[in-house]
Amino acid sequence: MKILIIGGGISGISAAKVALGKRHDVTILESQGVPGGLMARIANCRVGFKTFFDEIREKKGLTVINGACIEKVKRVGMGFSVGLDNGQVLDADRVIISAGLTPYDPVEYKGKRVLTSLEYDSVIDQRQGELPSDFHKIAFFLCVGSRSKEYPLCSSVCCSYTIREIKWTLQRAKPEITVFYNDLRFFGQEFFMERAFRDSGVRFIRANSRYFDEDDDGVTVRFYAGGGIKEERFNYAVLAIGLRPNPELKKLASLFGFSLNEYGFVREDRPLTTDAEGVYVSGGALEPMNIKDSILTGFGAGFLASMDGDTRDDLISYNNIIYREEPPAFDISDSGHNIYLFYLATENPGHAYLYEYVSARYIEAARMLKREKKDVYVVTRNMVTPSYAEIDYEQARREGVVFIHLEEEEQAFFDNSVFKITGCGRDITIENPRIIRLDDYIDGLKEKEFLSLYRSEPQLRWSPTKWNRKRYHIGFIRHPRDKRWEDRERLGAIGEITLNMIEERVLPQVNEERCSGCGSCKNACPHEAIEIELKQKDLAIFGPNPTTFIPIAHIREDTCAGCGLCVSTCPSDSISMEAQEFLGLENS
Amino acid sequence: MQRIDSNHMNERVFELTGYRREDFSVCLGCKICASVCTVNDLAINVNPQDILLSLFMGKAVDKAHPLFRYCTNCYQCTNACPWGIRIPEVIRAVRESLGMETLFERVFKGSVGIWGRVYEPYIFLKTGLFLAREGYLRYMPRWTGYMSFHLPKKVKIKTGS
Repeated sequence: MKILIIGGGISGISAAKVALGKRHDVTILESQGVPGGLMARIANCRVGFKTFFDEIREKKGLTVINGACIEKVKRVGMGFSVGLDNGQVLDADRVIISAGLTPYDPVEYKGKRVLTSLEYDSVIDQRQGELPSDFHKIAFFLCVGSRSKEYPLCSSVCCSYTIREIKWTLQRAKPEITVFYNDLRFFGQEFFMERAFRDSGVRFIRANSRYFDEDDDGVTVRFYAGGGIKEERFNYAVLAIGLRPNPELKKLASLFGFSLNEYGFVREDRPLTTDAEGVYVSGGALEPMNIKDSILTGFGAGFLASMDGDTRDDLISYNNIIYREEPPAFDISDSGHNIYLFYLATENPGHAYLYEYVSARYIEAARMLKREKKDVYVVTRNMVTPSYAEIDYEQARREGVVFIHLEEEEQAFFDNSVFKITGCGRDITIENPRIIRLDDYIDGLKEKEFLSLYRSEPQLRWSPTKWNRKRYHIGFIRHPRDKRWEDRERLGAIGEITLNMIEERVLPQVNEERCSGCGSCKNACPHEAIEIELKQKDLAIFGPNPTTFIPIAHIREDTCAGCGLCVSTCPSDSISMEAQEFLGLENS
Repeated sequence: MQRIDSNHMNERVFELTGYRREDFSVCLGCKICASVCTVNDLAINVNPQDILLSLFMGKAVDKAHPLFRYCTNCYQCTNACPWGIRIPEVIRAVRESLGMETLFERVFKGSVGIWGRVYEPYIFLKTGLFLAREGYLRYMPRWTGYMSFHLPKKVKIKTGS
């Protein structure tokens, strides 16, 4: 089958990887000079993209067409005949739209000292040479060009991107950094980064500003914080720009006959499928999403496009290695209160991964209570409602749910059935509310093995759903978030399984004759994949016990990542690396 | 802070601004409006969000808030606001519904209401005392020029150069 992928960004490449693994002919169409998309514009992600792309660059069946746009499309039977603007005509049976996102251009604020986050990225790029000499005070401003009247979605990646830019900045210099935010919408473990940066002196201020008075050697910013207006001078101000749908999607939609939603993204008919026959969609064409999710949806769309006919049976056959869990019920039993107060804040960064899920549940519950004519308050340090969840958040505000955003200095406490907020110039009291706290919900989740908590960022990125070789997590147990992700993650997981089946596995083998069971490999293993087993062995000498048990290292194949640390640690060279067939699907 | 029938007052504000409550309760609390507010050029700490917050919490508005006195209706906040909330209109409506307007403002509006334009004799008739007492007249060096329009030609006073 011939598969045409429109867009050579990270999700397009991921889709191509799966489709190539299924031995289809893949054509990647990139409108720019080189593939890469937004990911390759980030200096620190360029290498990651290149490595990922290099794995398939030389594969048979892959064609990459750079710098070309689609002129006309004709449906031929079940497939398409696609004419390009350079006169070329391509035949395709399936099409994957991965046109990606377009960064917002804040022309009204941009200047020499007021940079967008992508411009700032090239300032701190090591390949651009030394940092500017005046690099002492930097301010970051979040939510520029998103969460607004003209574009109500949250871009969902700018916060994470900003915290990484802070990391990359601090790796090179030690400027004073201030972050002006509305809500910090991080993903799982990034809340630990936030805590670490707070401890090391990065200032976080819950306020935003559009007052940039720029001159040759700096920019004066005015902002309202701590109960008063303040003016401060920074060397550079960085605007974390929002990501909007690619304007080319409109043209593609009319050419291929799929439809867009009111925000300009592709309408998802079934997961990762448009409403046009044979056209699939992945990555930023769906909604603003980060690199991890782009890869995940890319795998999913690649799998869908490379399947013939009905995929339902295939989905079922994977059920024994795909693991999902139903989230614990979230209910507010009626207690006769007239005032409800949702307290969405936690001091523990280890609990903050739940912000996203709990924010959505709180908004849902608050809107329901508001419809029953109750007074509903949501007191929050962080409202994490990325992409489409922001619409529900907006609706809740319009319906009269009162959201009170706690400032950094403000303290909220519950005293004698009165809820009080004090600090920085405003005192708010809410009398006799029914309080629902984030921390209460967490108590029921202590034992859960959330994939996103156990994996590092790169691990989650390149193998987005893998728990071990026989278990792939999707849905709530992967990372607690909106339900619409579960079906996408199911497809993504199958794509990933397909890739892992193709990949040759290199696993360590223990030479049992030589192993002395010293356990040094067990201590060295970072994945806890080695255990020392007692093996029965016949003794060659006479005596009362002809058999005995000797300890021998045993490698658990499902957990082993094949890193090879045990091989290098073994004092008697009794572990060696050998290629193996993938065992993931032997039960099915 | 004065307690009044806040819910009734709030409804009146919504009515006057032609705003529905849901249109300005979208406020995110980002304080961008405070950062661009020109009143803050006078070194006064104002945050328009205070007013919005008490309105949509259904609480009484603080009458002493500096914005009610100093807001110049420049709409900088509306331009910068991500949600385009028309804060000056909200402030004007609160002033009207709480009776915080000066005599001059009331009469000015009355004049426009009656004639559809500013009719100076009416305004001076109604507010002359107020303007004189508050010392506004010195800002009108040529006010007699306006008056001369209504005087017989012979008595016309020559003003200026």
